[in-house]
Amino acid sequence: MRIGARQVAVVAVLVLLATGCGKDGTSAADSEIVIGASIPLSGPLAGFGSFQRWGYQHAVDQVNQAGGLRVGDSRRNVRLILLDDKTDPNTTSSNTDTLISRNKAAALLGSCTPSLVVAGAVVADRNRVPMVTGCAPLQAFKSVKRWQYVWDVFFDEPDLAEAPFKTLQGAGVRTNNKVAIVHDNGPDGAVVGGQLWPMLAERYGYTVVSKQSFPVDNTQFNSLISNAKATGADVFLIDAVTPQAVTIRKQMASAGYNPQVIVAEKGAEPVQFAQALGNLADGVIVGGYWDSSFPYPGAAQLRQAFERETKQTYSQHIADSYAAAQILLDAIGAAGSTDATKINDAIGRTDKTYVVGPVKFDDQHTSKLPIAELQWQGGQTKVVWPNERKTGNLLFPAS
Amino acid sequence: MHLPGGHTLVTALVSGALLGGLFAVTALGLSLALGVMRLINLVHGELVILGAYLGYVLLSELGLDPLVGLLVVAPALALVAYPLHRGLLLPLVGKGQEAPLLTTFGLAVIGQNLFIQLFHADTRSLSRSYATAPIGLGGYEVPAIYAISFAVALVVVGSVHLLVQRTGVGREIRAASEDPGAAAVLGVDIGRVYARTYALGAACAGVGGVLVGLAFAFMPTTGTGYLLTGFAVVVLGGLGSVLGTLIGGIGLGVIESVGGAVFGDGYRDFIGLVVFLAFLALRPQGVLGRAER
Amino acid sequence: MSVDTARPGATTGAAGIAASGRGGRGARVRWAGALLAAVALLALAPSYTGDYAQQVSFRIFEYAALGQAWNLLAGYGGMVSLGSAAFIGIGEYTTAELTNHGMPLVPGMLVSGLFAAAFATAVSPALFRLRGLYFTIGTLALAEALRLFMVNYNGLGGNIGIFLKSAAPTTAGLYWLSLGVAAAATGLVLLVLRTRLTISLRAVRDDEDVARQMGLVSFRTKLFAFTFAAFLMGVVGGLQAGKLSQIEPYGAFGLQWTVDIVTVVLIGGLATTGGPLIGAVFTVALAELLSGSPELHLAITGAIVIVVVRLAPQGLWGLLSRAGQWGRPGRARRRPDPEGAP
Repeated sequence: MRIGARQVAVVAVLVLLATGCGKDGTSAADSEIVIGASIPLSGPLAGFGSFQRWGYQHAVDQVNQAGGLRVGDSRRNVRLILLDDKTDPNTTSSNTDTLISRNKAAALLGSCTPSLVVAGAVVADRNRVPMVTGCAPLQAFKSVKRWQYVWDVFFDEPDLAEAPFKTLQGAGVRTNNKVAIVHDNGPDGAVVGGQLWPMLAERYGYTVVSKQSFPVDNTQFNSLISNAKATGADVFLIDAVTPQAVTIRKQMASAGYNPQVIVAEKGAEPVQFAQALGNLADGVIVGGYWDSSFPYPGAAQLRQAFERETKQTYSQHIADSYAAAQILLDAIGAAGSTDATKINDAIGRTDKTYVVGPVKFDDQHTSKLPIAELQWQGGQTKVVWPNERKTGNLLFPAS
Repeated sequence: MHLPGGHTLVTALVSGALLGGLFAVTALGLSLALGVMRLINLVHGELVILGAYLGYVLLSELGLDPLVGLLVVAPALALVAYPLHRGLLLPLVGKGQEAPLLTTFGLAVIGQNLFIQLFHADTRSLSRSYATAPIGLGGYEVPAIYAISFAVALVVVGSVHLLVQRTGVGREIRAASEDPGAAAVLGVDIGRVYARTYALGAACAGVGGVLVGLAFAFMPTTGTGYLLTGFAVVVLGGLGSVLGTLIGGIGLGVIESVGGAVFGDGYRDFIGLVVFLAFLALRPQGVLGRAER
Repeated sequence: MSVDTARPGATTGAAGIAASGRGGRGARVRWAGALLAAVALLALAPSYTGDYAQQVSFRIFEYAALGQAWNLLAGYGGMVSLGSAAFIGIGEYTTAELTNHGMPLVPGMLVSGLFAAAFATAVSPALFRLRGLYFTIGTLALAEALRLFMVNYNGLGGNIGIFLKSAAPTTAGLYWLSLGVAAAATGLVLLVLRTRLTISLRAVRDDEDVARQMGLVSFRTKLFAFTFAAFLMGVVGGLQAGKLSQIEPYGAFGLQWTVDIVTVVLIGGLATTGGPLIGAVFTVALAELLSGSPELHLAITGAIVIVVVRLAPQGLWGLLSRAGQWGRPGRARRRPDPEGAP
C-alpha cells in the first residue's frame, strides 16, 4: 500500500482549490444588505424551521417592497440568506461562520431551541456580528454567558411556569390540590419542570406528589404515567416537545389516567399535536406567547398572510420570527449603516410595539414576551387566560 | 432509583411482556436478514416507519382502520422491498460485508429524506379509540394496544415460523441460510430466496410500523430507534430463529419495563442496551440461536 | 474482504503486504517529503485566503483525520466500527472540562485523546469477543448507550452542556491546529501501515483464526488499532470543542458523526491511504454547495454512497489513481507497465 508523492500533491492542490473557491463570496454585496440565518430546515425541528423561514422572509419581503433600507445616502434592498442546520448544533456553528465569512452578513437572525440558538449566538458574539433571535427562553439564554452582540426576544420561563396556576386560580376551579410533574431534562424542561413548577405549586397551595424526568427524545412513559396515576393527582403538568407530548397523552389514555387538569408545555402548542391526537388533545392546556387575536399591530394580518401563502395552519412561531427580523431591520435602518457596532447599539435602543407586543431590551439583552394560556377545544386553541385576552372559557375537567 | 410496589411491578412486567410482542414484530425482518443473509440491514428502521406512514395515509385518505390496513401494508412493503433487494443488494453478495451494509445505510439516508419530502417533519400518530384505552387483565390494567400488538405478534411470528419450517419455500430459506453453496448445488436459486426473505422481512417491519403508529407517535427520524431495538431483540433471542425473536422481544420488553419502573423511564433504553451488550459479549447466539462458527 | 481479492496477483494478506513493502527507504523518504511539502504549502494558506476558506478547510482536515482513524480500523483492520461518536464525544467533554480548569487547548486535546483511548481499552475485552457483524452492532450499541447515559446524567451539565470559558482560537489558529491534526493522523497511519503491525492487522482481517495459529497475537493487534483510532478521534473531538465553545450531549455524541465518517471514507476509498483525504474534500465541498437545499444534499449523498459501493469500491481515490496510473493502491511502485500505461 503505497502513496505516491504525486498523490499527496494532488490532494493538497484539491484542498487549496476547494478552499480558494470560497475566497470572494461577494455577489452584488455592495448594493444589498445581507442578513443571514441558520435554521433547522431538516431533522426533528424542521417544523419550527419552516415557520421561521416564512417569518424571516416575510419581514424582508415587506421591507424590500417598501423600497429597502436607507443606509448612508442610498436605499438598498435586503437579501436574506437561509442555511439549514439539520437540527445539529455543530452545523449551526459552522453555518454561522459561513454566513459571516462567505456571505459577509451584516447581521444575523437566530435558530430555534436553546442548543441551536446558543451554538450560533456564540459564533456571532465572537465575531462581533449583531444577532437578534427568538425561540430561546430567556433563562436558558442568559445562563450561558453575558452577551454583547446577541439579543433575545422570547418568553421567560418563570412566567410560563406560573401561568397554569394563575389560570386555575382565575377560573376558580376546585381540585384535590395535588400536582404530578413530568418533564424532559432539556435546558428549559429542567428549569420549568424541575425547579419552577415545584416552587410555584407550593406558593399557590398545591402539593407536589410526584416529580419525574426523562431525556428529551424518550419514547416510552409507562412507568412515569403509572407512578403519576398512583398518586391520584388531579393536576398533571408535562413539559416535553411535541413527539413526546403526543406519546405521553396517548399512553395516559391507555393507562386509564384521566386527571382533571392536563398541562403540556412546549409540546402541545403546534397544530400537529391536535392533528395527531384527535379528541384526545381536547382539554390540554399549553402556554403560548402569541395568538392572532392579540391586540398588537398586524397580528391578524400576519395570520391571514401566512395561511393565504402557505395554505397551512398558523403557529405562534411566525410572529416571533417575523418580529425578530423586523427588529433587526429597523435597527439597521435606524443605524443608517452596516457597521456592526452601530447596528448593535440601535438594537439596544429598540422601544416599539411589534406584532408580538412591546419590545425593549434590558441590560442582559433580553426582552420578555408575555405569556397567555391556551387550551385545545375541538381541534382549535382558545385563549383561556388572562381574562383580557380570553377567546374561550376553560374546559374543566379536561378529560 | 426506587423500588416500586408489588402491584406496579407486576403491571410493569405484564405490560412489558405484551409490548415485547410489538418489539418482536418490528425486529423480525432484521432477524431474517441477519440470520439468512448475514445482512446488517441499516434501512430496517425506515421500513418500519414506512409501514407507519402507509397506515397513516390509508387511515386519513381512505378511512381504513389501521388493523385492517395491515392486509394492505404488508404486501405493499414486500412489493417495495423485493426489487430493492434484487436491484441493489443482490449484486453485492459475496463482495464482503461492508458493501451491503453501506448500501443499506445509503438507502436509510434517502429514506429519511423521502419521508421529510412527502410528509414533512411533523409528528404523526394513528389515533383510534382502541389504541388509547386500557384493558384489564386479571386485575392489572395495561394498554389495550399492547395486548392487540401481542396478538398480532403471535399471528405474524407464528405464520412466519410455520412458513419457514413447514413449506417448500421455507425449506429453501433454511437451506440457503445453513449452507448457500450446498443449496445452490442442489438447485436452489439463492438470489431469489434472499430477495424473498428480504421482502418478507420488510412486510413484517411494515406491520410493526403500523402498531408503532397506533401505540406511539412517529416522525421521519423515528426509524433509527427501532433499528437499535431490533438488534437488541435479535441478539437476545438468537439470530435467525423466528421464535427466538418473539422470546427476545418479550425479554427486552420486560427488562426495559422493569428497568424503567426501578430507575426511571429515562434509563429504559440505556438498560436495554446494557443488557443487550452483556448478551452480545457473553452469549451472542442468544437464547435460541445456534452457536456461531 | 473485497479489496484484496479484487486485485490480481495479490495473495493472502501477509504475502500481499510483503510484496508491497518493496521500495524501502527510498519510497519512505519520498512520501515523507511529499507530506511535508503538502503541509508546508497548506500552512501558508491563511496569509492569502479569507476566513471562509480556512473554516471550510478546518472541517476538511477534521474529517480527514477522523477518516484516517476509521479507515485504519475498518479498511485495513476489517473492524467496521459504528461507534466513532463515542470517542469524539469523550474528546469534546474532556477538553471542555480540562480547559475550564485552566489547561491550554492543545494539551487538553492530547489528554482527551488519551481518555478516549482509555475508554477503548476498557471496552475492548468484551467488544473483541465479537466478530464481524456482531462487532459492528456492538460498537453501535456501545456508542448509543454512552449517548443515552450522557443525555440522562445531570452531572456534566446535563442537557444544557458545558460552556468553554477560555477564548476560542482564531480562525487561522483553528486552521493550523486542524492541519496539524490531519497531517499527524495521516503521517501516523502511514507509519503504522509500514510496520510489521500492518501485516498482522491485515492477516487478522483476512482470517483471524489462521492469524492466531500463525502466532500473530490478534488481541493485541486489534487493541492497538482500536485504541489508536480512538485516540485520534478523541483529539479531533477536543478540537471541535475548542471551536464550538459550547458543547452538549446531542451534538457531541450524535450519530451524525459516525454517519459522516463512514460516508467520507467510503466515497474517498476504503482501505486506501488517500481515501480519507479526498473523501473529506468531496464531502465537505458537497455540503457547502448544497447547504441551502437539504433535501438535495441528503438524496445525493445517499445515491453516491450506493453508487460508489456498487461501481467503485475503491472510491474516488481508486478512480483517480487508476486514471492517472500513479501507482494503484496496494501495489508496489514498479517499472512502467510494458503494456503502455504512462
